[in-house]
Amino acid sequence: MNKQKWIEYALQEGFSDFEIYQSLSSEKKVTWYEGQMDTFVTSRVLGTALRGTYQSQMVNLATEDTSDDQMERLIRQMKEQSAVISTEETAAIAAPAECEETVSKKAWVRPGNELIKKTLAELEEKIAKADPRIIQVIHLSWNEEDSSREITNSKGMRIFEETHVQLLQAGAAAASGNEVKNDYRAEVIEDLSAFDTDAFAKKLAEDVVSKLDAVQLESGTYPVIFEKGAMTSLFAAFVDLFSGDLIGKGISPLRDSLNTKIFSDLITVVDDPRNTDAVMLANYDDEGTPTYRKVLVDEGVFKTILHSSRSAARMNMTSTGNGYKGSYTSPVDVSPFNCYIVPGEKSLDELCADMKDGYVITDLAGLHAGIDFVTTNFSLQCSGYWVRDGKRDYSVSLVTVAANFLEMMKQVTAVGSDLDWKYHSIVTPSIAFKGCAISGK
Amino acid sequence: MLEKKQLEKYLSACMRSEADFAEIYEQFETDETISMLNGEVEDVNRITISGIGIRLYKDLQSVYAYGNETDEASVMKLIEEVRTAIGQKEEGPDVVLERVEYENRHPVRIDFEAVPLAEKADILKRANDAAMAADERIVKVSSSLLNVRQNVQISNSTGRLIGDTRVRTRLGVVAFAKEGDNFQSGSDRPGAGMGLEFYEINKPEDSGKEAAREALVNLSARDCPSGQMPVIIDNAFGGVIFHEACGHSLEATSVARNMSVFAGKLGQQIANTCVSAVDDGTIPNAWGSENIDDEGNFQKRRVLIKDGILTSYMIDQLNARRMHMEGTCSSRRQSYQFEPTSRMTNTFILEGNATFEELFEGIEKGLYAKKMGGGSVNPQTGEFNFAVNEGYMIENGKISYPVKGASLIGNGRDILLHIDKICSNLKTGQGNCGSRSGSIPTDVGQPSIRVTSITVGGTANE
Repeated sequence: MNKQKWIEYALQEGFSDFEIYQSLSSEKKVTWYEGQMDTFVTSRVLGTALRGTYQSQMVNLATEDTSDDQMERLIRQMKEQSAVISTEETAAIAAPAECEETVSKKAWVRPGNELIKKTLAELEEKIAKADPRIIQVIHLSWNEEDSSREITNSKGMRIFEETHVQLLQAGAAAASGNEVKNDYRAEVIEDLSAFDTDAFAKKLAEDVVSKLDAVQLESGTYPVIFEKGAMTSLFAAFVDLFSGDLIGKGISPLRDSLNTKIFSDLITVVDDPRNTDAVMLANYDDEGTPTYRKVLVDEGVFKTILHSSRSAARMNMTSTGNGYKGSYTSPVDVSPFNCYIVPGEKSLDELCADMKDGYVITDLAGLHAGIDFVTTNFSLQCSGYWVRDGKRDYSVSLVTVAANFLEMMKQVTAVGSDLDWKYHSIVTPSIAFKGCAISGK
Repeated sequence: MLEKKQLEKYLSACMRSEADFAEIYEQFETDETISMLNGEVEDVNRITISGIGIRLYKDLQSVYAYGNETDEASVMKLIEEVRTAIGQKEEGPDVVLERVEYENRHPVRIDFEAVPLAEKADILKRANDAAMAADERIVKVSSSLLNVRQNVQISNSTGRLIGDTRVRTRLGVVAFAKEGDNFQSGSDRPGAGMGLEFYEINKPEDSGKEAAREALVNLSARDCPSGQMPVIIDNAFGGVIFHEACGHSLEATSVARNMSVFAGKLGQQIANTCVSAVDDGTIPNAWGSENIDDEGNFQKRRVLIKDGILTSYMIDQLNARRMHMEGTCSSRRQSYQFEPTSRMTNTFILEGNATFEELFEGIEKGLYAKKMGGGSVNPQTGEFNFAVNEGYMIENGKISYPVKGASLIGNGRDILLHIDKICSNLKTGQGNCGSRSGSIPTDVGQPSIRVTSITVGGTANE
């Protein structure tokens, strides 16, 4: 694709500005099952998104066929699209901005295929032998992914960023009588040759076995701790509350809440795309706007609305560098990047000790369906364990937890210290709440 | 799409390896989404997807490479990668392809690409206006129209060369209702394997009214009580209960590795005798239908449960090897970026003979789940959950007041045994199902059913 030629042609056809966004991703994945390599996947995908302003409307188009003979047809299509768009607020193509780039601290060492296979084989054996109640190693995989994005536009912008991630995942099933439970564990690994397979296998086995002999709680309202994994999932499901797109459209329940108290004093939320503790960082968003650290919620008070150029235009504000594309095929939307709840002082064990009697939720299921974003009501299947006198007692499963997220976040009793980025870009520590409705027996 | 000679060359190259089977999947797809908010067109997003996936098997091992650069040098590079991964050989059989022709079971009358954008935007406008006009408490309407044309061509080392064109359309309408501080939403999302003729029968105005109706009901809904109780699940999208509680656990993806509560249960009773269920990918122009599956085999109707007895799993070709059974033409994938595996198409419980009123008889206190949301399942443990988007309490055999914030959970092992009454009002609803091979269109469906006891998760403790 001759990008300059495409941009010049678009301008000549009447576009006032034009941008080409390209992403290139390649992946290597090895899975292992019953003593041998199960699947091997390799890929290379180049995606291109075009956008430009034509007759004051921003028009988007994505394609995987960027041969130059497609140029005239695609630009014509974009002009047609602009004719039906009637909204007044539009995104803006940005001019290049000076910014000092943050460099990732990750020191990735790419392993050879033999080391990958040897590690997976070892892990399979160690997980299977870790506890007599383990009945099956249900998943073992190694993933390496390279991705890059390049933004070139008619205002002279040319931005290139690339990332690399290596992830090991495993799953195991354990049984007790007729009861079967399973669990998964994932770890980002910079250097596979230094990876401790013993510790990983032991932790996975402990986690899955601890789920056995689970009981249903009696329905009622109990003090609850959302362990960091479950709390991360729940927070991520509601993080669009801060989206300037949904606030501007009047859909987010925080539409009239800026500078008001929305959460407990104990909750501070930060969005920091340049956080080097996270797996990935971004110096620019997908519109080429430089990113920066911002406090979204400061001790319970809603301080910052996340914006892309378009959502900012709707609310007469400026972009916060949060215009991201779900993939090259999606238009720019508003999204946090490396967003977290600031950890407190106490470990999970200390939170349990303070709670004395209550329920620790370790897993949530059905998050894609069981939440109502508009009201922030949720009702979700969950599992975890009961805490008696401050110590873990028995496992709990097949119950639901239901609450209103905004109400619940006002009822925080403590925030844990156990923030762990792992492979997430949205993350929270464990958080204790006064009470949630649990439905079981 | 690649020419036959070129494909033969590529497949022959693939077979110069330890592989015993090679397959090339090609996809060329055009997607178009028009989005509207309060009657104004916000976005038109057009996407062209064009890529190739190459897969080799050696016994139970599979190697998959995909990319979207389809010039010969790029494709040969992918082939070299898969040959290396599975083991190269100097010699191998030359593949000769024969194209399979057939009659399209899912003809389309109004091609979305031939219709001007303004006319398509008008479909959204009609839905928008109907929702807005439903009640003065409807304050906002968001809607979108998705149209897809997916062309695929599949060739393999057995000599099969076959293609399919899947055309789909779906309208999504979300209405927002406000009364004081109370803000609620309702939605309707009909779709089909059709062109724009779909909207001649399924009027956009009806979708707008339906979304508004649900939002208005939710304005007056009270917190849902929790605990175990009898539940009546209505027809259409209510079928998500079967999809989650049972369907996923009958896919070879989990059965072949003994990771399903229904593994090894063929011929055994897994449901009440009143329950029969099918997965049917052949229904003309249905949302989850296609002429062929994504391994190039003709779609078919699979009877999964007959009178409570498990009669079939859903099996793709690779898992058929592991299970020592015949495949059931159930292989599907979102795109060339996913290796295919066993998936559902249009899956539903068959009609019984109870009347709708009979379902309510004898229930002192229960839940009538009129509209369901999505759900999920862990096939190995059998634990499933799904959301109730519109529900009502049943008191003394009668529908009482609307409730909100409810979910249903249970274990697939026993939930089907607890269905004791099935109506004769079978209807399907459209969904997107996410699993290992990506997000695919599936119909769920059922007549209205009664489950004698299920755990209802709500916020009101009584």
